[in-house]
Amino acid sequence: MRKSYVNNNIKVREFDALIKITVEMSRYLYPYIREILKSKEDSEENSVIWKDFNERFIELIRERFNVDSMRVKKLSNQAVNDEFIIKSLLTLSLCISNQGCQKLKNFLFDF
Amino acid sequence: MQNKLSFHQSSVSLEIIGLPDYSNNENKDQISIISQWKLNIIDKPLIEGKIEHLGPIMNAFYIYSNLLIKNKIPLYESKLIDIKAENLHLHNIVLKSSKPNVKPLILKIGNSLLSDTINCFDQLNESPQVIIKKTEVTNNITKNLRFGLNNKVKFFNFIMPPFIAICSLILFSSSFIYFYYPVENKDKKELINP
Repeated sequence: MRKSYVNNNIKVREFDALIKITVEMSRYLYPYIREILKSKEDSEENSVIWKDFNERFIELIRERFNVDSMRVKKLSNQAVNDEFIIKSLLTLSLCISNQGCQKLKNFLFDF
Repeated sequence: MQNKLSFHQSSVSLEIIGLPDYSNNENKDQISIISQWKLNIIDKPLIEGKIEHLGPIMNAFYIYSNLLIKNKIPLYESKLIDIKAENLHLHNIVLKSSKPNVKPLILKIGNSLLSDTINCFDQLNESPQVIIKKTEVTNNITKNLRFGLNNKVKFFNFIMPPFIAICSLILFSSSFIYFYYPVENKDKKELINP
């Protein structure tokens, strides 16, 4: 999905490291993640936060991902990507505990 | 004098009231005999109950969040609590009282409050000061995954030995082609065309 011509399989240690970084970042960013989720709940009141986040998300996807791929096209489509973004944010927000790494791994294996 | 411990996460706080079990040489600050718990969600009615209700309610939230994230039907029903997704952002919680003639309490919470509540439960689970029967839902690898890994291992164990056996048989037997000398065929040809 990324803009890369090299297909390197991720090693277990690298995977674990990525999980740790993600959990630490989501712990740090929890208040923001929460606000984004909340803004979508009552879209009429705080829709600006959700809109800004969605626009930045799509911008990054187009910058770093292979936009010719159908899966990436789906991700960057504002009308369709709501569910994906909400579930991803919810997953991150549920993995901020001390056992967050294990939780995130379990969620990812079933994603 | 009872001990009181609170766990906070943004708009949700969980209060645990109880006593340490002195017969187990526990510290005076610990709680292992829970007499009461209160779950306070801002702008929602207070939820409180006995120890026998806490475990099932925590399990319900964990199971429901797992279903939600794993793209399965987000619906949890039990004698004590029902949780159902109204849409992508709202979740209906129905808390049924164990007392007769008490109407069930209906709450509607969004994703933000759902994650706050689960994070409060996580804090309680990880707290060394409260000793309760820990929930097994989140800590273990899911059943599907476990079965998936087992199946893969079993499949390889099942298929690899005969595969190696057949390959070695073909390799071994192919070497005999060099020693093949069709004497009888030559004799027959000579008989036909003398």
